Amino acid sequence: MTAASAPAPSGLLPVMRRPGLAAARLLRLELRHSAMLWMLPVAIALFWLTTYRKTMAMPPLWNLRATSMQSGAITDFIAPVVGAAAWMGSREARRRTTDLVTISARPRWAERLTAWAATTSWAMAGYLGCLAVLYGVTAHQASWGGPLWWPAAVAAASLPTLSALGFAAGTLVPSRFTAPLAAIAAFFALALSTELIRGSHSYWQISPLVTGPWDTGPDAGVATFYHFVPDLPIAQVMFLAGLTTAVLGALALPEGAGPRSLRAAAAAVAAAGLLAAGTAVGLAGTGRLDNHGMIAIPALHDAASGRPIRYTPVCSHTAIPVCLNPAYASYLPDTAAALRPVLDELAGLPGTPARISQAAATYRQERGNSVAIGLTGPVLSGTPPVYHLLLPDQLDGPVMTASELASLVRSGAGSDLVASVTGDGPGASQAQRAVTAALMIAAGLPMPGAAPEIVRHANSQPGPSPGARCQRPAAGCPALRVGPGAGPRGQPPPGPAPGSPAYAAARRFAALPAAARRAWLVQHLTALRAGRVTVAQLP
Amino acid sequence: MNLEIAGLTRRFGRTMAVAGVDLHAGPGVLGLLGPNGAGKTSLLRMMATAIPPTSGRLRLLDRDPGSYGPRREIRRRLGYLPQSLGYYPGFTVAEFVEYFALLKEMPPARIPAAVTIAVDRTALGGKANAKLRTLSGGMLRRVGIAQAIVNEPELLLLDEPTAGLDPEQRVAFRALLRALGQRATVVVSTHLVEDVGAACAQVVLMDQGKIVYDGTPGELAARGEGCGVGDAPLERGYSAVLAAARS
Amino acid sequence: MTALVRPYAASRRIPPALVAIAACGLGLRIALIGHWDAYGALQLPLVFEAGAVAVITVTTASPFGEPERVAGARLPFLRLAAGLALTAAAIVALAAAGTGADLAGGTLDVLRNVAGMTGIGMLCAAALGGALAWTGPTGYLILGTYALYTQWHRPALTTPWLWPARPPHDLGAALCAGLVLTLGMAVITIRGARDPVSE
Repeated sequence: MTAASAPAPSGLLPVMRRPGLAAARLLRLELRHSAMLWMLPVAIALFWLTTYRKTMAMPPLWNLRATSMQSGAITDFIAPVVGAAAWMGSREARRRTTDLVTISARPRWAERLTAWAATTSWAMAGYLGCLAVLYGVTAHQASWGGPLWWPAAVAAASLPTLSALGFAAGTLVPSRFTAPLAAIAAFFALALSTELIRGSHSYWQISPLVTGPWDTGPDAGVATFYHFVPDLPIAQVMFLAGLTTAVLGALALPEGAGPRSLRAAAAAVAAAGLLAAGTAVGLAGTGRLDNHGMIAIPALHDAASGRPIRYTPVCSHTAIPVCLNPAYASYLPDTAAALRPVLDELAGLPGTPARISQAAATYRQERGNSVAIGLTGPVLSGTPPVYHLLLPDQLDGPVMTASELASLVRSGAGSDLVASVTGDGPGASQAQRAVTAALMIAAGLPMPGAAPEIVRHANSQPGPSPGARCQRPAAGCPALRVGPGAGPRGQPPPGPAPGSPAYAAARRFAALPAAARRAWLVQHLTALRAGRVTVAQLP
Repeated sequence: MNLEIAGLTRRFGRTMAVAGVDLHAGPGVLGLLGPNGAGKTSLLRMMATAIPPTSGRLRLLDRDPGSYGPRREIRRRLGYLPQSLGYYPGFTVAEFVEYFALLKEMPPARIPAAVTIAVDRTALGGKANAKLRTLSGGMLRRVGIAQAIVNEPELLLLDEPTAGLDPEQRVAFRALLRALGQRATVVVSTHLVEDVGAACAQVVLMDQGKIVYDGTPGELAARGEGCGVGDAPLERGYSAVLAAARS
Repeated sequence: MTALVRPYAASRRIPPALVAIAACGLGLRIALIGHWDAYGALQLPLVFEAGAVAVITVTTASPFGEPERVAGARLPFLRLAAGLALTAAAIVALAAAGTGADLAGGTLDVLRNVAGMTGIGMLCAAALGGALAWTGPTGYLILGTYALYTQWHRPALTTPWLWPARPPHDLGAALCAGLVLTLGMAVITIRGARDPVSE
């Protein structure tokens, strides 16, 4: 150590204190030594193992992937962010620097805020990187539409809140147990919040994990035909920002955190934050499920959002064109191929639809968390008639691959199309039932009344839908079932009973050459629909 | 006077750690001696504004630390080395000193040079970029001294600063103290009477929360002539004063 | 040896850890009052199991560092005994919490999950230090909850290394969890938790 004479003491000379530069340098030091830097690989690994893989397995629809990303990213980042923040919050006590930091001139709240900001910055950087990759790949794969930014914003807004909560826990309880217990408690609390959701007007849907009607999960039919309604995300961001502000403001309240004026201002800021968060919760409680599957909050609702999206459908070159929303363009080849045998049978017959057109679904809140999803308007409308189709992905249920979806369309909409042409349904004649059955056989569809078609997937087992009282996907749990004729018109028409004259007539009719069958139908279809044809008159 | 204390007390539960202390000090080096549990660290922590006094009057650098504004001003001009130095193992020496320079609200433009000077003055120039976790105990102590002097304090409080320093470093440290004491008030709490004798112009001896001696090292040594226990004059004076205070 | 148990337990903060484990059990019992179904019924106990395991792993940190390592010939036995005792306490507390309630997976699930995650925590303690050992079980909790979710939402993760997603009687999953526990306990017994420099 040297006793060289020192420069003039700083305390005796008026000097420029540049708080911005000092804060930036403090932040730089904190960034370099933040525990979140070490937790980033954990968060990113969790994101890749869970959210990214799950989301990429979904069809490349922006609404599906954005909402899946929102809830998945938050779930993956909760524990690392809260744990790292709690670790940093307890740093002074663990490292026994409390006295040194206490006697510093800079308000303690400012020092703590810097440590929090560093933790949050790294968390945000990690999340934005994950978001960029997921959205970038989706942009490459999606056939239509653009990224939904509100789900990304909600997930981003969660990170400062999680960091603030963890940091506050570590500051208040600087024990070595705090970081792990805070991380797990935060994970549990967020998951628990969703269990308490009942209906679309629940206060608990303020939880950032919620992206829409909770029990329907990511829904392919939402924000595809109608613009995304940002009401719930706005309320969620407001809640998260308010909570963050309240927690950070509360950190400045203890004596010694700063001057009285700062503490008074912090108290006001904390109160404002609590007010904002409470208001957001209240707004969430006024939410309602709109017809397009999104949560609308009247006080936040902009009539311009939720309006129909103009699009040019993509159509197949089948005998009867199948036209889908361009967002579902990836489904078109498989869907058209699945329906081709049916369309070839029906094309040109009197009363056959001129086009199969995908329609938007209508959503209706029912008791509890149940949501009824159905077709908007009649199945057949217009002149010439257009058959309005809901793809199975637009209904509640697991997200499926294009081939799985096409298989369901074939057996559901395919049989429904046949029935609509023959006029089969409640009160139909035996001849109508026989002709329906015959056309389905000819098109390769299961005979009406046959064993239901169970959709299985390679390397997986069928499982119950969420909410089913079933603890393992095993024997005793209902499998996902699809039967013939389970199209949007309701219950499949009952087929002719085996051994009956109508059953035999259906077999005979199906065995006719296609040309003969078509010729007969062209001549007799109108009478058949009017009920003036008997089974004995069938060739 | 940089340091004015009158009737200062500090209670921890039922223990009166500081039981009425009167002390005045201007620029120079003041040595604070006393047995374990005498109240030296508690007194130092009150001077450092780390804890408030239970009662009494305390003025530092002509300001009352009881109010936030003056206390903040004192802290800008204060340097403190606690008895048990906490640190962040991942920080480098330079980062650690810079961190506390920033917390002391030093002008940012002056910090790099101040850090370099502080690190050099504590003979850590070659270790400026070494992580603290790689340093020995003595080096860590010198890092603590560096952060205490980085802002050229007018009031420098050092609690056991030479713990872990080898004899050569202690000699250099005493020279540093004398240099700093030319314009600042330096209070050194230590068990090592030879440090006090070599560097301090004023010596205060505490026992059971009270000051039992306040004078020069020479006068303290004289008190032990013929009656104290110890191998050196200051040690004999130390033991003689304590014995008299306890009788 | 027995005279060492009390100071060792105090140094590792084992009494507060036992309180925290009991709190996890109590929390699980309270949570089981609610209605949980599908994968939520299996994820719920996993959260509390992870909490208890995180507490166990944090107790591996030594406040003494080298002086204890050098002097403590009986240290390995103490470490092993503490680890096994706390693991057993966690299993008992959580299984007891499920008594009379609808605990999905039952006691076998609790036994396997706690044992396996404790092994993960012990391995993390040896690598990262006791204070940071909780990162392993916490990260595994998220993987485990996701694996349970995939049993209902394809594609399912069925590897036995994600044992929470396997049925309680699955031998492969039990072997994996047991192996990890054995490995973790062995490492902690022999080496102890990594000592951070400042502690």
